[in-house]
Amino acid sequence: MATVKPISLKSIFYTACSLVWIFGLSAIGHIIMVLIEKHNPAIKFDFAWACAIVGILIIYMTRFLKHDGWQSFWGVLGGLGMWFAFEYSLMYGGDRMGVTYTFNGSYPEYRMMKWTFMMLLMVFTYLLFQESVRCNFIYFLRRKLRLMRGVVATGKISNYGPRTAFQYIMVTWTFYVLLMIGYDEQLFGPQSWFIYTLFFASFSVFFYLCYKLLGYDKFGANLKYAIPTVTILWNDVEILAKWGMLKEPWVHLNWPIMSIIIAGFAISTYLIVKDLRRKKAEMIESKDVV
Amino acid sequence: MKHWKLLSILLMGLLLAGSSQAAEEDLYKLSYEERTKIIEDRFFAASKAGKTIKGVVVEGNSIFNGTTVPQDKPYGSPYTKEELLSAKISAERNSKLFILTEDGTLYYPTCKKGQSLSQSDQAHRMPRALTEEQKKGPKLFTWATLVPMVGRTVELHGEIYPGYAGVKGIHIKSIGFEGEYIVGED
Repeated sequence: MATVKPISLKSIFYTACSLVWIFGLSAIGHIIMVLIEKHNPAIKFDFAWACAIVGILIIYMTRFLKHDGWQSFWGVLGGLGMWFAFEYSLMYGGDRMGVTYTFNGSYPEYRMMKWTFMMLLMVFTYLLFQESVRCNFIYFLRRKLRLMRGVVATGKISNYGPRTAFQYIMVTWTFYVLLMIGYDEQLFGPQSWFIYTLFFASFSVFFYLCYKLLGYDKFGANLKYAIPTVTILWNDVEILAKWGMLKEPWVHLNWPIMSIIIAGFAISTYLIVKDLRRKKAEMIESKDVV
Repeated sequence: MKHWKLLSILLMGLLLAGSSQAAEEDLYKLSYEERTKIIEDRFFAASKAGKTIKGVVVEGNSIFNGTTVPQDKPYGSPYTKEELLSAKISAERNSKLFILTEDGTLYYPTCKKGQSLSQSDQAHRMPRALTEEQKKGPKLFTWATLVPMVGRTVELHGEIYPGYAGVKGIHIKSIGFEGEYIVGED
């Protein structure tokens, strides 16, 4: 687990940039999906293939990057590409099998995703018992459930791009499955105690994670840990949309709001890239182990 | 060729991508606004000429096994509250949906005539024709699918087919209805 440092102005800047960047990325992903569905749904499966190929190539490319900030930056983009491809593959599968929308409006691809919960559980079990995994939440569970057979692995966590991509995919997958289980009218339903609890828990945990994020004053760690922070807030965005309180900007694209999000994303990208380029000269290069 | 394996994987990916192209390319040559206007003009022209189908969306399994009798209920209220919930759940589990008109005719939503390979039509989005009054109010969904519409009255524009044994076929091109697509989420 990385050491949490005292909060400084620098870490506030890094946290703000990371949060805006990850949030902007999720929002822009959403905008792209809505635009394709509205204007040219015929291209969506080609787009999915392109995302899968680009995602895999980006993840492969991170093999040759040395700076941990760039690893996180490209790792997120690679993960997003592969996640897009996964969502569209479910959309394609849903279309082929004639999967309908639910009567409360959930889309076929998310209905299908719900039933991957056992696969998710299997992957999670692997991560739980894989002692080299040092995700804070998994580490907490491992400690509480007394799953450590020896001393915990220590040292600096290297923000390797593929690991960041995997983290992006796992976190997004977990929360979609959780939401879809909650939306199921035969289990809970959108107006149930489960969804209300999830809404308020996500809102509270978001602030706690923001506080923790303020301890990281480098983009490598900050971007990586901004993924769960933003995704947890995204639960609330999704729930508000499900409650019909956020039709705009999500269902009907609201361009003034979207422009602000896109501008925020562009500015944060610029600041992150500028910082990473500046730090390139300061990095410590490590040789491959042969 | 040091990276021939990677290149061959990429080529295979691109070939698969080409094969997955949908056959609906021709439908989307117009811009969204132009397409929407044409769809709405056709819908309201057909509605004025009495060529649309007005009916309630009913769930097939419970009609055909005699569990519910929406045809004997007052038009517009085909189910009791309990029946409606069951009908909706059955619909999202892919029980086939029909349109029941006031004169008792059943219409089965189907794909276009001549299309032999198809998917369930109740999974597809249908463009929604919004009235001028609806456009003035809060923004509404511009499309709908049939499952959330179970038990509700709709007006459909499309091609009508003779069908079989009294049940007619309809290839839906657009839909109109009052209120919002997902009830209770406004």
